[in-house]
Amino acid sequence: MIDVVQNTLDGLAIGSAYGLLALGFTLIFGVMRRLNMAFGSSILVGIFAGAWLHGQWAAGMIPIFAATLAGAVLAAAYVERLSFAWIRGDAALASMASSFALWMQLEDGIARAFPQRSYAFPSFDILPLLELGPLLLRPEFIAMFLTAAVLVVALHLMLTRTVFGLQVRTLSESREAARVSGVNVGRVAFLTFCIAAAIGGVAGFLIAATDGQISTKLGLWITMKGLIAMVISGLGSLRGALIGGLVLGLVEAQAQWYLGASGREITVFALLFVALILLPQGLAGRADAAARNEALRRL
Amino acid sequence: MDFYFGLAQIFGVHTLLGLSAYVVLLTGQVSMAQAGFYAIGAYTAGAMTAMFGLHILPAIVIAGLVSAAIACIVGFPALRVKGLMLVVATLAFGEMVRLFFFNLSWQVERGGELFGPDGAEGFRSIRYFPENGWEVWHVTVFIWIVVAVVMAALWWMDRTRAGAVLRAVGHDEVAAQSIGLNLTAVKVGAMTAGGFIAGLGGGIYAHTVTHIEHGVFGVLLATFAIAYPILGGLGSVFGTLLAVLFIQGFLIEGLRFMGDWRSLLFGALIVLAMNLRPNGLLGEHAPRLKSILRLGKPAPDSLETKDAN
Repeated sequence: MIDVVQNTLDGLAIGSAYGLLALGFTLIFGVMRRLNMAFGSSILVGIFAGAWLHGQWAAGMIPIFAATLAGAVLAAAYVERLSFAWIRGDAALASMASSFALWMQLEDGIARAFPQRSYAFPSFDILPLLELGPLLLRPEFIAMFLTAAVLVVALHLMLTRTVFGLQVRTLSESREAARVSGVNVGRVAFLTFCIAAAIGGVAGFLIAATDGQISTKLGLWITMKGLIAMVISGLGSLRGALIGGLVLGLVEAQAQWYLGASGREITVFALLFVALILLPQGLAGRADAAARNEALRRL
Repeated sequence: MDFYFGLAQIFGVHTLLGLSAYVVLLTGQVSMAQAGFYAIGAYTAGAMTAMFGLHILPAIVIAGLVSAAIACIVGFPALRVKGLMLVVATLAFGEMVRLFFFNLSWQVERGGELFGPDGAEGFRSIRYFPENGWEVWHVTVFIWIVVAVVMAALWWMDRTRAGAVLRAVGHDEVAAQSIGLNLTAVKVGAMTAGGFIAGLGGGIYAHTVTHIEHGVFGVLLATFAIAYPILGGLGSVFGTLLAVLFIQGFLIEGLRFMGDWRSLLFGALIVLAMNLRPNGLLGEHAPRLKSILRLGKPAPDSLETKDAN
């Protein structure tokens, strides 16, 4: 019983990081209606920028965090320009193939610049390990959970209370309507893309700091986790993205404990496959099903 | 010289992989499961020759049929979802297949030696070609005969009602349904055909490399499979062939002299191609569609631009 509770806590913590990745994906998909295959690799660029700073000057956590964010946002801006902004609006498949090419390019570039198998990333070892009776709480996990909560609230406020947020929501509803009502579509889409990368960068930073080491394989891993978490919750709602991440983390933690590593992977994919087919609308956010169906048709 | 034959073999199996995604993409479905069907074909064909001593030809046909059967079974539930949901559902299926082979150990003894898949070690010694005295150029010619047959079949299909039906579903499902097409049958049919072609390709691939392991059949291969028809364009089967030659021949092999810069240029050239030709290198023409569906006045690209945001 204690095991189940412990697994749940661990799962929710890592799940909140997945939720952040899913948030990034949801924002991009919301305004672009296209799949960004290079999401993980742009975050990878950020993480390696942080690791480089760490290895070069043994910088503190805050400069490393800033470098991670800056790297992720710059790489995402590059991807947005080449694969989304400059490709005609109706060619969703072209954007997908193009972002795939940039995924390969960024990942190969990182692998050449950092030829070792893995690199050290600073971890939060200053914080103490919390004990609640028989349960152990790693401080990184609490940091993850709190960061995710704060970011979601901030994002929600931005989307509902600011003019920019209104523009983003208009854009995700209808590109045409947004253009007609005077929204600078290109600029809003670009900024949303950068915000998504920054959120992903925060998640990437937390994940890397928890693991303490990073490798170039992290890029694909991030893309997969974000994509899966976004899809199990249904598309197009922030709350849903977070729930999807938490569910994914929970399932993974329990399966890992009871079935081992390869059992965990199979369980996750099998559940995902079944869930997609039985609940094509996702677990949450059923309210705007019509808008979402429209979105799905367009990919 | 063997190097060039080896290269031609890679082009051949990748063309089959790309064509399997092409058939499915014609109906508007982005399937990331093709690497999974390719893996099923590879392991099945390897088992047929190495474990049961079959001839190569029945072995790859069986591999194709097994892949097609599984594609058909998966197609029914998977095609209930569309767009991004389908991408992720098929991705999940492909990964399940990969993990299945990662855990599969089943070996039989033949002539004092063990043959068969051995979990993470992979499936070694699929030595049908060397054991039967096939030379490199024999194998290459064999592969390209298979590729030519598949391409001819698809090209011919494109010019029959079947091709028009596939494209009709791909362009506008509602319109296709309203003229009485059975969407499920069309999509599952395309998925099955794609599974067969991927199985053939995988079966041949297993024999050219003699050792296969689960890692090869991951998300990367699945993305390559779908990238070929997108890059080449859905106009005809030659688009996919051209894309394979462009990516595998020019970008991966041709640019080797560039050294470290190759990977940068690889991305840049594909991005450039997609920016200049968003409908693929050879573009999208569906010349017979208008006359069969009686769509009235021909509007260039109208079938695509309708989906614009």
